Amino acid sequence: MSKALVIDVARCSGCYNCQLACKDEHVGNDWTPYAKPQPQIGQFWIKVHENVCGTIPKVRIHYIPKLCNHCRKAPCLEACEHNAIYRRDDGFIIINPEKCTGCKACQEACEYDAIFYNEELKIAQKCTGCAHLLDHGYELPRCVEACPTDAMKYGEEEDLKDWIEGATVMIPETGCHPRVYYRNIPGKFIAGTVYDPIEKEVIIGAKCILNSGGKVWQVNTDEYGDFWFEDLPVGLFDLVISAPGFEYKGFYNLKTSKDLNLGDIPLERAK
Amino acid sequence: MGVKFKPDVQNIVSYSLMGPESGGPCLVESTDGKITRIRPYAYDMEYIKENCNPWKMEARGKVFEAPNRATITPFGLGYKYRVYSPNRVKYPLKRVDWDPKGERNPQNRGKSGYVRISWDEAAQIAADELKRIKETYGPEAVLCQSDMHGEGKNIAPSHGCPNRLLALMGGYTTQMRNMDSWEGWFWGAKHVWGCEPVGEMMPMTNLYPDIAKHADLLLFWGCDPETTPLGVVSHMPSRLCYWLTEIGLKSIYICPDLNYGAAVHADKWIPILPNTDVALQLAIAYIWITEDTYDKEYIDTHAYGFDKFEDYVLGREDGIPKTPEWASEKCGVPEWTIKALARDWAKKTASILHGNGGPYIRGPYSTEPARLEVMLLGMRGLGKPGVHQAKMIEWNMWNKDYPVPYQGQFVPQMPHICDALRTVDGDVGPEINLRRFLLTPEQEKRAPELKELFKQLPAPLQFIPRTLIHKAILDGHAEWYGLQCFSSSQIPDENNYRKPTTEYQFEKMVYPRPGLSRIHMMWTDAPCNVTCWNNGNLQIKAMRSPEIECIIAQHPWLENDCYFADLIFPVATKHEMIDIGNDLSSGGYTSVYLTGKCCEPIGESLSDFDVCAKVAEKLGKEYYDAYTGNLSDEEKVRFFYKATGCEEYMTWEEFQERKIFIVPCKPDAQELPAGLYNFYKDPENNPLSTPTGLLEYSSTALEKHFPDDPERPPVPKWIEKSESHDERLSSERTNKYPLLCMSNHGRWRMHAQCDDIVPNREVETMKIRAKDGYQYEPLWLHTSEAEKRGIKHGDIVKVFNERGTVLCGAYVTERLIPNTCYVDHGSRLDPIVPGELDRGGCINSITPTSMTSKKATGMAVSGFLVEVAKVTDEEMERWKRDYPEAFARKIDEAAGVCLEGWLISDDC
Repeated sequence: MSKALVIDVARCSGCYNCQLACKDEHVGNDWTPYAKPQPQIGQFWIKVHENVCGTIPKVRIHYIPKLCNHCRKAPCLEACEHNAIYRRDDGFIIINPEKCTGCKACQEACEYDAIFYNEELKIAQKCTGCAHLLDHGYELPRCVEACPTDAMKYGEEEDLKDWIEGATVMIPETGCHPRVYYRNIPGKFIAGTVYDPIEKEVIIGAKCILNSGGKVWQVNTDEYGDFWFEDLPVGLFDLVISAPGFEYKGFYNLKTSKDLNLGDIPLERAK
Repeated sequence: MGVKFKPDVQNIVSYSLMGPESGGPCLVESTDGKITRIRPYAYDMEYIKENCNPWKMEARGKVFEAPNRATITPFGLGYKYRVYSPNRVKYPLKRVDWDPKGERNPQNRGKSGYVRISWDEAAQIAADELKRIKETYGPEAVLCQSDMHGEGKNIAPSHGCPNRLLALMGGYTTQMRNMDSWEGWFWGAKHVWGCEPVGEMMPMTNLYPDIAKHADLLLFWGCDPETTPLGVVSHMPSRLCYWLTEIGLKSIYICPDLNYGAAVHADKWIPILPNTDVALQLAIAYIWITEDTYDKEYIDTHAYGFDKFEDYVLGREDGIPKTPEWASEKCGVPEWTIKALARDWAKKTASILHGNGGPYIRGPYSTEPARLEVMLLGMRGLGKPGVHQAKMIEWNMWNKDYPVPYQGQFVPQMPHICDALRTVDGDVGPEINLRRFLLTPEQEKRAPELKELFKQLPAPLQFIPRTLIHKAILDGHAEWYGLQCFSSSQIPDENNYRKPTTEYQFEKMVYPRPGLSRIHMMWTDAPCNVTCWNNGNLQIKAMRSPEIECIIAQHPWLENDCYFADLIFPVATKHEMIDIGNDLSSGGYTSVYLTGKCCEPIGESLSDFDVCAKVAEKLGKEYYDAYTGNLSDEEKVRFFYKATGCEEYMTWEEFQERKIFIVPCKPDAQELPAGLYNFYKDPENNPLSTPTGLLEYSSTALEKHFPDDPERPPVPKWIEKSESHDERLSSERTNKYPLLCMSNHGRWRMHAQCDDIVPNREVETMKIRAKDGYQYEPLWLHTSEAEKRGIKHGDIVKVFNERGTVLCGAYVTERLIPNTCYVDHGSRLDPIVPGELDRGGCINSITPTSMTSKKATGMAVSGFLVEVAKVTDEEMERWKRDYPEAFARKIDEAAGVCLEGWLISDDC
């Protein structure tokens, strides 16, 4: 038995239901020995991160809910010297609130900032996978159950194979092997609108060729003169835009450390 | 005692805040008398799917299906925080320096604070005041401020109970709601296409299956499907948007802000300056006319007055052709993008989507964009498969047949015990004024036990539009046109046709009516005029007028207009009472469900119905008996179930056991013609409800009644400024107030409801905790505008104009067009200087006083001029020094303004 959680970022509408349901379950409710109550504010056992990308009007938003990854190689578990942290058969990692001494070693060890310190109770706390519910007849953790767009899937890792294929995990280089997988986290984009400044009309079908170290992407501008290169890696790019009857226009050394809106781009008439 | 992991009880309670209808079901679990959690209701808990005849839509090889569980909203999920809010009114309160037998100190309303009194004393004061006012001035001297929305409850509804008691006492003056989310449609679009009752496209039958099959372009015009549906529908619109994208439809969002729907569903966002859509629409028409790309044949047979419209568009009338160049300067959309949109739209099959509210339907002169939108749809062959106006909200309202095929094979008829917006007898014809709050003959036959309770009470004799309450009080009189009823409640005939009601818009109304008193007392169960209506600061001045001798509020929470009340009754929430719920709106299934108590009422709170019963008791036994009908809550639930008609499908015993009856879906729902298809096919035999039966590009009714009205001329126009409003970037006022402030229905509130849900308040788009620790309402500002003003993300800022100042937290973003700012409406008032300066982010306190236009009695609360500036430390210190009492009020660290902040004595 080995559970996993898969989050499809392309289906996440940013409703925050997961974050709110988690609070509903854990703030003010005592689920000892799984978890003691979460403080009223300040802790986020699952937190939705809003990523606003680009500049007006080429702006896109994606949301990434982040929570304890219940790592297969869990530094928190290894760091705890008081046997307060344990791994369940289903893979969930639990901080036993009755054994926790509040030494914060686990918090420091966690690669994902997923552990919180409860000042009042002097203990470390985090996502329990709602193990207290799963052990008592409930089928889903609260976050998954509350998701209205089916962006979160929870179940046997084996059953979720198709979903996990091609998915990624948060900061894979930590080597912690998370049980929480993400699909469709977008890469960077380069976008713009191409227009004819004399006729004041967009240029439809302009050829936009993007190049990075020999790798080439091509799109044509759409009905709105727009081009979008999506899901790009971080790197340096050269872009050449051309259309029949117009001088071509080049953009060089574009850095995709941030998403790029090149704005409304006028093309000069060919001489 | 060990921890209990399984709840003692599970109850089904509504998560919608639409009232009177209950809305979508959630499962509330309680242990040891306390709510532990709130979950989405799973439809397969009690039923196997087949019993419900689940619906599905199919198009382009893909399927969209009924969900297995309700798509719960943040309001439903967070309601535990509403029930246990530190902002709850826990016992009856009296304003400390209001003495009904001595000094009333009306000037201190909003400042004084409150003391706890007993129920006995509170009810006695209320009864004595009601009698005294009635004897001194006549019954109409009491203004009853009831309304819609609020918690969806049936046996003891949130709204209308005071009306019931006041009607028994001989009458009152009604506060009549304006079409607050539909202003432009009601006062404008109706004159183009009729479409009773509110001027949005009707019927909405079968729209989404049709759109999925036939449209290829979706124009979300000021529509936010991730926001406005939350208080009313669910997240079903979100699922629908994902599906429409999946099957290949392109979504274009035209709005000043990258709203929450655009953020995740838009293929293209066209930012536009608030309230300038008219310029864009006219330029689109200009392109279509000059390039000859509209459906001329359709216009020949389906339209009246197109030549006059064409004259205006081409500039034959006023010498100004409405070219893309002309429009671009006004609306901020590049000329090339305007042309591209017009041409793409001309090539494709497109529908326009709305979600109520939105940047253009509640602004100055909103009649104009609303009318033009319909005209553009007409030029594309409105009613043709795939060419519709469709809504992401209110799928059941006024529809015989729904746009999404979740409707049941029959509609459960839930009785409504109170009529919050009762029309004055004789103001509108009996077929319009349907008195839907009576028992229908079928209901009476099924549940004769309810006859006495539903005995028709006398109607009020006068009303004041909610948009004019402040002016009516301060000026002592008011004049306006129309609004004799909130919306026509007539039932459509078998062709889905309703009688036209536009003629009522042309009648001049007055307050006070001859022989009737002005108002001297107010009783509200909808205390949000300051937060949700026009010029809240003027509303505050009105409530502090010495003309008003007594103000009573009944509400679960101490907020907004409550601060100005003299007497406050504590009300229990829906989770604290038994009830029978009905869901026609959530978009999963329709259902009727039994709601048990999830916990005991907080403090000494009572249901709204019982609050008024307490007062009735003090008025005398005859009032009490007549008011209550002598039925217990349990009896009401039982008889209401009978009245719904569900008993023919499920016995009362089985219903008690299962707690829910999911109405099996109508099997042939998708066979019906979509939208205005019949009009498209054969306009002669399926006329619209306009005077000509056609789409009126020049309104014949306006030609007849107000041919010279510059603010709503027969052909819709671009209005730069006029008598009512001067709210454009071209205005001289921009010297002082250079930003257009947009304000939509909130992402994290249903109007003024739910501002205190703690987990929501930790989301940055809900509140921004500034350096002083206070959680401010976010004010969106484009990066460039923030830079100009030296404002950084998270700074405390003030937004201000001639009407006052509101403090907010800066949310610096690329999600908003420059030259504007944005604040959600509905944040709770936290007055520093009542009527002048607010810390709570209550943006409606500075919205324009003037109505939609001179002869359109709507409100204009989005798209008005302001300036935004950083609040300096010195300024804040000065306020703290000058108004220490305002800053001394306790603010809950997590929930914001709270009861304790307004309590005077410490013995409570």
